[in-house]
Amino acid sequence: MKKLALAVTLAFAASGALAQDKTIKITGFGAKSGVVRSFGVNSEAAMLAAADVINKQGGIKLADGSKARIEVEFLDDRCNAEEGISVIRRIASTDALVAIGPTCSNVAEPLFGILQKKVGDAGDSGLQFPVFTDVAIKVGLAKISEWAFRNVPNEMTMYNSVFYWLHQKYPNLKTVYGGVEEDFAHSRATWHVVMKDRAQASGFSIAGESKWLLADTNFATQVREMKKANADIIAISAHPFSTCGVLREMQRQGVKPKLLVGLTSSSSLETLQGCAKQAQGIIIPTSFAPVNKEARFAAEETAKKKGAADLHSMAAWENMFILKQVMEAEKISGAKANLQADRRKIRDGLAKLATTQGLLGVTKRDAEGEADKPYLFVQAKGNDWVVLHNPL
Amino acid sequence: MLDFLQAVSDGVLFGATYALIGIGFTLVFGVMHKLNLAYAAASVGGAYAGLLVLGVMAGAPPWLVFLCAFAAGGVLGYLVYLSCFHFIPLGSPLATLMATVGMLLLIDEVIVHFTNGMPLAYPAMFDDVMLRAGELTLRGDLLLVFGIAVLCMVGLLLLLYRTRLGLATRAVSQQSVAAQLCGIRVGLVNAMTFVITGLLGGIAGALIGASVGALSPLLTTPLTVKGLIVTVIGGLGSIPGAIIAGLLVGGFENVFQLFRGVTERDLYVMLLLFVFLVFRPGGLFESKDDHH
Repeated sequence: MKKLALAVTLAFAASGALAQDKTIKITGFGAKSGVVRSFGVNSEAAMLAAADVINKQGGIKLADGSKARIEVEFLDDRCNAEEGISVIRRIASTDALVAIGPTCSNVAEPLFGILQKKVGDAGDSGLQFPVFTDVAIKVGLAKISEWAFRNVPNEMTMYNSVFYWLHQKYPNLKTVYGGVEEDFAHSRATWHVVMKDRAQASGFSIAGESKWLLADTNFATQVREMKKANADIIAISAHPFSTCGVLREMQRQGVKPKLLVGLTSSSSLETLQGCAKQAQGIIIPTSFAPVNKEARFAAEETAKKKGAADLHSMAAWENMFILKQVMEAEKISGAKANLQADRRKIRDGLAKLATTQGLLGVTKRDAEGEADKPYLFVQAKGNDWVVLHNPL
Repeated sequence: MLDFLQAVSDGVLFGATYALIGIGFTLVFGVMHKLNLAYAAASVGGAYAGLLVLGVMAGAPPWLVFLCAFAAGGVLGYLVYLSCFHFIPLGSPLATLMATVGMLLLIDEVIVHFTNGMPLAYPAMFDDVMLRAGELTLRGDLLLVFGIAVLCMVGLLLLLYRTRLGLATRAVSQQSVAAQLCGIRVGLVNAMTFVITGLLGGIAGALIGASVGALSPLLTTPLTVKGLIVTVIGGLGSIPGAIIAGLLVGGFENVFQLFRGVTERDLYVMLLLFVFLVFRPGGLFESKDDHH
């Protein structure tokens, strides 16, 4: 019996050693400096945690039947478009098979633009490198390149659902007033393209809108406009710092809408750290909450790597597992000599996926390549985000 | 009309925060004829350091946080002096200027790395007080900032004109070589100037954090820009000028925002700066020395 145990132990050790021999490099990139640093830190932690789990399970099975362990590297693009482009070129020049990122939509948009638009187009000298986005959320970016893939929430679907649900649940609420951070690509697009349109489609009328900038500190004028409009619902499409500033000013001026709706990126620890008291009751649709065993496990593993689990970082976690599945299904070789062929296989594999498995359920992909992730509505209560409603 | 008056009063009161930053810029310029571009970042850094009190003593009163910010501001001020001025030849204005730019970025990034860029709630005093004058409302916490800005001005003027340190500072400001020949330790006076402006910056950062309700690294760049604008409009080296200009910029900013919207607001503030640079380059309180 002892001999058998020893043999099993040795076999495991040997398979571990074999898995150590080959490595598959996945490079993350995003903001790890500047005011959105937390996004990069959390994505990196989630990627490292997922890689650890995959490696402990034996790694990735290659075409020849051997196993390779995942090696994660994470580069900082400072949420800057030029830096992002430079970073992706640098990643493509290494032995990385695929990249996960970026954090910011203003980086993703031009960066996708330097990728080859149509696969196999000999006349297009764009970069032929698969990029699987976890955070940059602005709608409509997947169509820019066939090398770009996204696992980000579909805000159009989510806000459609939010306003439809609110209209059903609170039929006496008629008007929505928008507050928008005008100088940030995501928040701007979310109000002007998504929230406003979806609120009207659900039967609400728009009572007006106020604008401010990401780094603004004085919101008195904007909140006074809100007060005058006296809308039933105030929808704030802004990131935590200015969201908190506006909520504080609303408290000062006694602006008490019947409901508050927030930007999906604000359903994070940042908002609660900045202004938990003023944010009480705000409703935000999100594609992540630790509501099941898998989600809780992912959050715990990410926390061990000093990251926070939120809708963005957990997309990075999911991407790692999706990539494992694709690499194995496409039978990549993992050999440096076949680097470009493996990249192409990964791209083709990602392109084939009509659905993927996420932490909250199945993610669908629409005709334009945009992900349609499962979501739920959370609400700020005390110092936590609690699940208010699961529409799926 | 009411909207206009409210916008002006809101802006003027918020301008007190610009005034506090402007005072620091102007004092260093007045004494050393150098710009310390790291001043706003150091002020915000001091304010962040104030939050350490809450880490040690949960539920500490805001005044204790402000006090810690005040002290940390002084330490940071001295460190900025050491790293950007003391060891760098003062005869090369570009060297010290670029050193302070580097220090601005360094402090900013240190804050980002410690906080992951997340905004942190900042304790406030009188933030729930709203004074009403008919339909007009005035924020209690901003009135406090305004009051402290005026007190700082009075305190600094007393320091400059009623103390030996002030005498030495003015001597160094006017003619440093002559001051040195008279036995004044120029290096010490310069260092003291940085410590004093640092102390002021610490309290300014804390008051700004309190008035905004949160601290974020996002604050440093706009405060640096506004502080510089205030310094130029007020008159380089003029403490009362910095206060008046701070209130003026705050008021104009809000009025521009009311009439032209937030996306054009800063455009007009910059235009205001250009108007001053062209028609009154010495600022509102142009010093007589500037004519020579």
